[in-house]
Amino acid sequence: RGVALARSRARSRRASTSRAMSIMSYNGAAVIAMTGKDCVAIASDLRLGINQNQTTAVDYSKLHKIHDKLYLGLTGLISDQLTFIQKMRFKHEMYELRENRVMSPKVFGAVVSAALYEKRFSPYYTEPVIAGLDKDGKPYITSMDLIGADASTDDFVVAGDNVESLLGGCETFYRANLEPEELFTVISNCLMSGVNRDCLSGWGGVVTVIHKDGSFTRTLKGRMD
Amino acid sequence: MARRYDSRTTIFSPEGRLYQVEYALESVNHAGTCLGIRTKSGVLLASEKKILSKLLEQGNTPEKLLKVDKHIVIAIAGLNADAMILVNLARLTARRYSAKFGQPIPVENLVQELSDHKQGYTQFGGLRPYGVAFLFAGWDRKGGFQLFHSEPSGNFSAWKATAIGASSQAAQAMLKSDYHEELDLKAAKNLATRVLEKTMDCVKMTEERLEMVYLTHSDEPGDVVFRYLSLNAGEDEA
Repeated sequence: RGVALARSRARSRRASTSRAMSIMSYNGAAVIAMTGKDCVAIASDLRLGINQNQTTAVDYSKLHKIHDKLYLGLTGLISDQLTFIQKMRFKHEMYELRENRVMSPKVFGAVVSAALYEKRFSPYYTEPVIAGLDKDGKPYITSMDLIGADASTDDFVVAGDNVESLLGGCETFYRANLEPEELFTVISNCLMSGVNRDCLSGWGGVVTVIHKDGSFTRTLKGRMD
Repeated sequence: MARRYDSRTTIFSPEGRLYQVEYALESVNHAGTCLGIRTKSGVLLASEKKILSKLLEQGNTPEKLLKVDKHIVIAIAGLNADAMILVNLARLTARRYSAKFGQPIPVENLVQELSDHKQGYTQFGGLRPYGVAFLFAGWDRKGGFQLFHSEPSGNFSAWKATAIGASSQAAQAMLKSDYHEELDLKAAKNLATRVLEKTMDCVKMTEERLEMVYLTHSDEPGDVVFRYLSLNAGEDEA
């Protein structure tokens, strides 16, 4: 998925790297979402890099609150993340004003998917992860590719530039029906072990757990490299 | 004589009047009364709910006092269908401004944009004007708490207290005599209720005939909330 300019840049650095740069790993990101017993957790790393080898910020969360029981995590190119979250906030706020209620996670997932597919032939270079509870408190998570192909599961979803490591961690540590605190521990471990295998994500993490009585957000201290 | 000059919006009468605009104002005067009162700590909007029939389904959505953005509430008086189009436009305008500037839209900007839109219908296109008048209650950093009145002609003005709709003249007169800057929420609520009791010709106001909203600061600095007030709730309900 390289861009022509990026390819020529990569060619000029051929001495140091043999892999072409992908636009999706320009900034670096890692996001996981998991379901628990009447709760969901969503976690992201905190690194913001520029042109792969430069780390610019270490407090950059990729999680965005849509409403009290719904979070959107975005990976990929940060510029597109920023524009896309603006667009999604717009849509959700209009919905709230017109319908006098908030979007359920499933509906929001459909809206995100449609918005991404609208730009099928010049996409937003971002892959979202959605986690939330519907109005009956039932957990819902889903992730999709940059053109909106979504796949909702009932255990965990991951996105970022090193999904293999993230998935590996989740497959190993995940258990169904965990309580909020246990879920927090599990998702934190999965995130930390996943990002430690990837130089483009990490520098700590932030985790939000949404349960029926509210939510809590905690920052994780990790390897700062 | 007026007959010859009122069929088109885009022409003046010999006396320099736009009859269609005036007729639009007449249309507003048939609607349920809405009034707004600005106090030191917020803005109160109150309006009469016309209950046409027991058979009507009363949904969750408010009838006359609608949210436009987190910091702006609007009261509508006039043709409901026309009002809904404009309220939607107001909501989109507020959202677009937020998306573009990363800030909530200043109240006057919103009123201006809506009024400019309404003005278009009095000058070109050959379409009739909107038969709606609005009261905007909002807060922004520039002007603090504000109350605006917007007319079908596209004209708008800022007020300390004002009324629109049926018997608005009488309501306005009462507000003029009883309004003062030091009103608090309880006193404003009281005043609004008394004024509406007079214009609605009812001896004692009841819950289902009245809709009230109070826009004020929340505990966080720079943040505003508004609450739908009920008639008989406690004084410190705000």
